[in-house]
Amino acid sequence: MPRQTIVIEPVTRIEGHSRISIHLDEEGNVEEAYFHVTQFRGFEKFCEGRPFSEMPSLMARICGICPVSHLIASAKACDAILAVRIPPNAVRLRRILNLAQIVQSHALSFFYLSAPDLLLGMDSDPARRNIFGLMESHAAIARDGIRLRQFGQQIVERLAGKRIHPSWVLPGGVNEPLSAAHRDRILEEIPEAVAIARRTLDWFKVEMEKFREEIRSFANFPTMFMGLVGADGALDHYDGKLRFVNAAGQVVEDGIEPADYAAHIAEMAHPWTYLKTVFYKPLGYPEGIYRVGPLARLNICDTLDAPLGAQEWAEFRELDRGPALSSFYYHYARLIELLYALEKTEQLLNAPDILDTHVRAHASANNSEGVGVSEAPRGTLIHHYKVDRDGLITWANLIIATGHNNAAMNRGVLQVARHFIHGNKLNEGLLNRVEAVIRAFDPCLSCSTHADGRQSLEVELLSHDGEVLDRCLTP
Amino acid sequence: MPHTLILAYGNPLRGDDGIGPEAGERLRSMVHHPDVEIRTLHQLTPELMEPISRVARVIFIDACEGAVSGEIGERALEPSTAAMRFTHHVTPEGLLAGARALYGRAAEATMLTVAGEEFSLSSGLSPAVGRSLDGVVAAALRLLAGYA
Repeated sequence: MPRQTIVIEPVTRIEGHSRISIHLDEEGNVEEAYFHVTQFRGFEKFCEGRPFSEMPSLMARICGICPVSHLIASAKACDAILAVRIPPNAVRLRRILNLAQIVQSHALSFFYLSAPDLLLGMDSDPARRNIFGLMESHAAIARDGIRLRQFGQQIVERLAGKRIHPSWVLPGGVNEPLSAAHRDRILEEIPEAVAIARRTLDWFKVEMEKFREEIRSFANFPTMFMGLVGADGALDHYDGKLRFVNAAGQVVEDGIEPADYAAHIAEMAHPWTYLKTVFYKPLGYPEGIYRVGPLARLNICDTLDAPLGAQEWAEFRELDRGPALSSFYYHYARLIELLYALEKTEQLLNAPDILDTHVRAHASANNSEGVGVSEAPRGTLIHHYKVDRDGLITWANLIIATGHNNAAMNRGVLQVARHFIHGNKLNEGLLNRVEAVIRAFDPCLSCSTHADGRQSLEVELLSHDGEVLDRCLTP
Repeated sequence: MPHTLILAYGNPLRGDDGIGPEAGERLRSMVHHPDVEIRTLHQLTPELMEPISRVARVIFIDACEGAVSGEIGERALEPSTAAMRFTHHVTPEGLLAGARALYGRAAEATMLTVAGEEFSLSSGLSPAVGRSLDGVVAAALRLLAGYA
């Protein structure tokens, strides 16, 4: 049998555009597999020459799903250029905004993008395997998902004025304090959101039993994990120091100042994808592979300072002797973070000074360089800028969560493909599992506009001379 | 909760696709009534099903493809899940169907459209579509007056 390549394009139910290629040897066994990111953005380049104060608003345009994450990391980089200590209440308000972003994004990932696989089945009819199919068969869960996403978006809107591409976060703080009316409204709605998060966790912990094979094969291998932790080692999405933990749970490096990230991580490009691969510099590539995001954050932290979240985290840590290694557990970690984010939001809103109107510090550019690091829903987000004497951007480097996870996603695609695909017969359900491992990471390839509904999943199995051996086309 | 919800949507950085948000902003400056809520949006999303289930009427305003640029269309909508396969491509009919399936009821709905001619990366409306802005706003106001 000739060598063959299976191509899955587009990969569906993720943020952005990509394809997967699976290369088979003469016996029909999977030899290699790649996750190709096919879109190119170029923000690092075309922001050059712009005033640094414009950067948060410009960077928010990178993505329609996570503009808030870019807004926050960018503003933090600009704070460093200003060299100011921003008012404590601005920090609280930015934290709430970041947590709201995590709520809406995790709800989108879990309920809209992955729950169709989990509830309707990996092998179910692909025409119905989406949020709309879920509405027909599991209306209560669909309602819960919609409500949680809506809740997160409403907080973003109440704080920042609009749900997508707000400009409320600025270098030096935020441009408006929180009103008592908005605080009270959000606090009123938190118990309902917490109840949804808790019942979803209760359900999913039982449901996971049905996915033993996926848990075993979905990017389940030893890697390091990286993320921010707070001063006391607690889970922290806004600030803190970087920590690396290995697959045995040992801390490899701790207390890394975010501004020193470049001494510890490096980027490399591959010819087959626009997405750069990031690795732990002291070990090099590929030994320095690590993962970020909800799974990593729960694997590296020492505690969660929110009671319900901490209880769930303690149970999560019982999954394995060390860190949870299967990327299928990203879903589980996402739900725990959702609950934690709601609890933390309530804590922050109840802070005595939360209505304090001093929310911005003013200064000119005092440093020629600034780094901002925060935890986005999908993992650690780094913005690094250099400016000239007039405060114009001369150089920018952005490292996004999906870049940190790129090597692990590729290795995960290979693992799933080797586990489920053999020979020259294709099965849509098996190929869906190859996509589902990518969905577990919830990569963000920057979504902007999409096709007009005519997109379909087309998979062809070709011989080396181009002969079509098998073909799958979703209706 | 208001009696009527206006969802004016489209991408202002895609030329004539911006007619929806532009009409929505114009209406927002003209209509100040507690029974009317106006939202300008980039695109429709599933979260709109819940508010749609709580109002009596909903008016969608969007650009469309058409033979005659600037032509204004008006039609009643019925719930339907046809063509609802992608989270990024939610139709007005699909939102109505989702509102009914998940929340028990869907608002009476009308679609107002303006045929566009230029949907590439650009800001601003083409002359023909720009000339229809007053017309589509007038059509929405006429509908609102009819509901009163």
